[in-house]
Amino acid sequence: MAGTAARPTYRGGGDGVGSSVGRVVAYVLLIVLAVAIVYPLVWMALNGFKSNAELFGDPWGLPTTWRWENFGKAWSLGVVRYLANSVIVTGASVVTTILFSSMAAYALTRHRIPFAGPITVLLLGGMMLAPTVALIPLFRLLQAIGIFNTYWALVVLYTAFRIPFTVFLIRAYMITLSRDMEDAAVVDGASRWQIFWLVIMPISRPIIVSAALLQALFSWNEFVFALVFINDTELKTLPVGLLAMQGRVLSDWPVLFAALTMASIPMILLFLAGQRQFIRGLAEGFGKG
Amino acid sequence: MTGTTRRGGWSMLLWVAPAVLLLVVFVYYPVVENLRLSLYRWSPFSPREVFVGLDNYATLGADPVFWSSLFNNAAYAVVSVVFQVGGGLVLAAVLEELVRGRLKGLLRTIYFVPAVLSLTITGLLFQFMYNPQIGLVNGLLDVLGLDAWKHSWLGESATAIWAIIAMSQWQSVGYVAVLFIVAMQRIPRELYEAAYIDGASRVQAFLRITLPLVREMTLLAMIITVSGAFLVMNEVWVMTAGGPNNASHTLGTWLYKSAFFNDQMGYAAAIAVVIFIITMTASILQLFLGRGKAVQY
Amino acid sequence: MTAIAGPSRHRRTLACLIAATAIIVGACGDGGATTAPASAEPGATQAASAEPGATTAPELEGSISFLHKYSDPRYAPYFEAVVAAYMAEHPKVQVEIQAESDQGVKDKLRVLAASNTLPDVYFSWAGDFTKKFVRGNLAKDLTGDVTGEWAERFTPAALEAYTYDGKLYGVPITLDAKYMVYNTKLFADNGVAVPTTLEELLATCDTFEAKGIEPIAFGNQFGWPAIHFMTQLNPYYVPAATLQMDYAPETGAFTDAGYGKALDAFAEINSRCLTQGANGISHEAAQANFLAGKAAMHYIEAVEFFALTEKGGAPADLANNWDFFMLPAPADAPGDTGYLTGAPDGFLVNASSEQLDIALDFLNYLTTLDNAKKMVADLGWLSPVQGSATADNTFPQNVQVIEDIATATGMAIWLDTVTHIDVANAYLNGVQAMLDGTKTTADVVADIQAAAATAKAASE
Repeated sequence: MAGTAARPTYRGGGDGVGSSVGRVVAYVLLIVLAVAIVYPLVWMALNGFKSNAELFGDPWGLPTTWRWENFGKAWSLGVVRYLANSVIVTGASVVTTILFSSMAAYALTRHRIPFAGPITVLLLGGMMLAPTVALIPLFRLLQAIGIFNTYWALVVLYTAFRIPFTVFLIRAYMITLSRDMEDAAVVDGASRWQIFWLVIMPISRPIIVSAALLQALFSWNEFVFALVFINDTELKTLPVGLLAMQGRVLSDWPVLFAALTMASIPMILLFLAGQRQFIRGLAEGFGKG
Repeated sequence: MTGTTRRGGWSMLLWVAPAVLLLVVFVYYPVVENLRLSLYRWSPFSPREVFVGLDNYATLGADPVFWSSLFNNAAYAVVSVVFQVGGGLVLAAVLEELVRGRLKGLLRTIYFVPAVLSLTITGLLFQFMYNPQIGLVNGLLDVLGLDAWKHSWLGESATAIWAIIAMSQWQSVGYVAVLFIVAMQRIPRELYEAAYIDGASRVQAFLRITLPLVREMTLLAMIITVSGAFLVMNEVWVMTAGGPNNASHTLGTWLYKSAFFNDQMGYAAAIAVVIFIITMTASILQLFLGRGKAVQY
Repeated sequence: MTAIAGPSRHRRTLACLIAATAIIVGACGDGGATTAPASAEPGATQAASAEPGATTAPELEGSISFLHKYSDPRYAPYFEAVVAAYMAEHPKVQVEIQAESDQGVKDKLRVLAASNTLPDVYFSWAGDFTKKFVRGNLAKDLTGDVTGEWAERFTPAALEAYTYDGKLYGVPITLDAKYMVYNTKLFADNGVAVPTTLEELLATCDTFEAKGIEPIAFGNQFGWPAIHFMTQLNPYYVPAATLQMDYAPETGAFTDAGYGKALDAFAEINSRCLTQGANGISHEAAQANFLAGKAAMHYIEAVEFFALTEKGGAPADLANNWDFFMLPAPADAPGDTGYLTGAPDGFLVNASSEQLDIALDFLNYLTTLDNAKKMVADLGWLSPVQGSATADNTFPQNVQVIEDIATATGMAIWLDTVTHIDVANAYLNGVQAMLDGTKTTADVVADIQAAAATAKAASE
């Protein structure tokens, strides 16, 4: 900071008069922004309680009566099915992604294995490849191996396309672990598998949780693969199912809003519960090359 | 790398095998195969491939929708860099500097929430907000006496893509801001205190301390935002499906529409090659810039 | 769109017709009169056919998949009920339903075709849309299967719509036509009479506009609603023989000056009658305005009439005060003013289905007179099965439609499903661009001609 020019005579950055006016303005702006961000979501939830006539007649108003039945209707029109599918696909892909990525990260960071360099490049290089680019060939590949239009299609692809990022996160963490506990375990005669499960995974828990949350967020919201590789209404996940639902309930917007509201809740809750780990994972992934 | 690495041996390859196999089969192979497919012509109704050489690329060059899609992606990128990266940076700084305690945590959480929602959800929500007759956007303009600014936002060629981009800013600015907050929290407070003692204002402190120290983060955020902007598909498909008159297509939606509506699978593969080149370039840039030179705190 | 997002019900347009050309409805001929009494004599036919299809011989066993585009919660229950009843009659048969929306089914069918996973029985629009499946050997030739009593159930024009080169490929399920519905109360209150020419319609719009009433509620988010106007206007301005040539990909050129005039007419309708900013409004949102009595008219399909009845959820105020008329032709129309926009919708059978017996038997069951009557009663749709709509099982407007269809010279199939996809896209996109002022009629005509040339080259 040396040699900077202007030096105001008042205490900058402190609590001087000038800055308290600025502070008020800033507060107001921050709160306006918060309202602008939250209001559409509140409006969405409120619209879920209206009748069609209310929605079109007075889009800004509160519902005159709280029509919970809209939520029941949305639920039975498909939300329950889509929600279940999303849970299944997300759950499975989190497990496989975390398992395969940690195994790979463990082997690469804690052992000397043949071709470690090329394997690392191959695993991390996958981050550069966008899912859209593979869309058309995957369309045929999945049919050829018989998993087109099944949960497997999504679980396998969500895992394959997210392994690079997940390995990247976990590897960066495992690399920094000290060897002491592992060495102790070896002395005790533990196998590699035991060391992995009983020593490495527990101490890597913070990054594993972050990685799992990010993977859940990704799988839950993924759209393109779910759109192209799932035909069956019964197998659709939320992002595609809700869209299909819009095509069906066009005439009944409040039900759609009810559906959107219900579909929003799981991820918001998960985020609120795991906010710290979420953000840490994102920051790690973002910040390091 | 800390410590010495345990001897592995060939059996350790089994540990990386699942990851490697999945990547090779479902990521690398399709990307390579796509290059080949872009040289053929076939439709969903007659899967027989006809080799056409570079015809699909010639069609690409002459296709106005391809170029407008590319433009839309670029617009997406530019706006997102300004509002998400630029706006997110300022927002993070203001939040970090001015707000304390519970309010700070609350605001941060609020700003971030839209980012965890599916783009289908926010897309459908905003489709309604942009409705020209009953949408909140035109309603707000009415209230403000700005009737002349009212539009059929998603229904006019000139405004559709911008309306979608605006939605995206709403959804993501908080996300980027939170990333910056994390980066800023790594900056030692003493630097600021020293500056304030020197009489620096908050703005000056931001320019002289914060900005240089989150420079790397900023660059990365920019690259990732740009690269993401070239993959945009979900919200466009949900809100306009590329219309009206194909005006709001992005490369992703045009690829999808070409393959599964217009019966041109090979052409879609050629579009995918373009997406590949653009995102690959961004990634290489990211690698290059991200390597090394961690900012010294 | 499967997402597409889409909206809804649309259909695309045009077509010309049926039958090879033909456009004629009914017995194809020209004589509207002879075919008119459609509903009477079919009664007889049906009596004879009381036994639903066939099925006597060996017990059917196995499972088939069945894709329809009626996933709207108002319509899906009918199909679920019929399938359940069918399975109850055939305990060893499983029919697995895949329900899509009108918009969603467009790309879904392509995905299924490309992935070679087409269901045994699947929905398809008449016109080039169906021909694609035929060309790809994905649709079974049903000429030898839909015969005798089964074939006789249908109004002939409906079967002709699914006939190519003399072979039948589809079984029609609904019969549809496009009409301008109007609020009789608003018309009476404002002293407006039903317009009989396009010019009168425009003047009517001016009257409503002057009184602050939205003349025609119009939402064009996915482009097909405007294309339905074009489906009706093209035959008014272009001679039928020319239309037929142009709508076929092999011979299409679109050089007749009438195409431009039809587009001009639409532009005029748009500026004086239609909701502005319509590209950003869904058809359903526009319909809400008509239902609420805020708009005087609305251009919809007969299959949507049900939504205007109390049973279909319309407010009583409107449900008791609406009627319909055909989009009127200009006074000096050079084309044929007897053509009505509309077509049957139907199902095709997968050529590689391993359960052909069941697929055919199921389709037969779906189109028995009893089930057709149930469909008419439950959904308010019209069925191609003769004698299925009577004053007993449907509302009066539907009975009128039947009569109206019987007197039409012919039917114009949805322009966006009857033509080659390139031409359909040129229309869909071009008209959207006209609506938001980014293209002129001449631009759109040029686009259409270019698309026709591409389609022609591709079909050679």
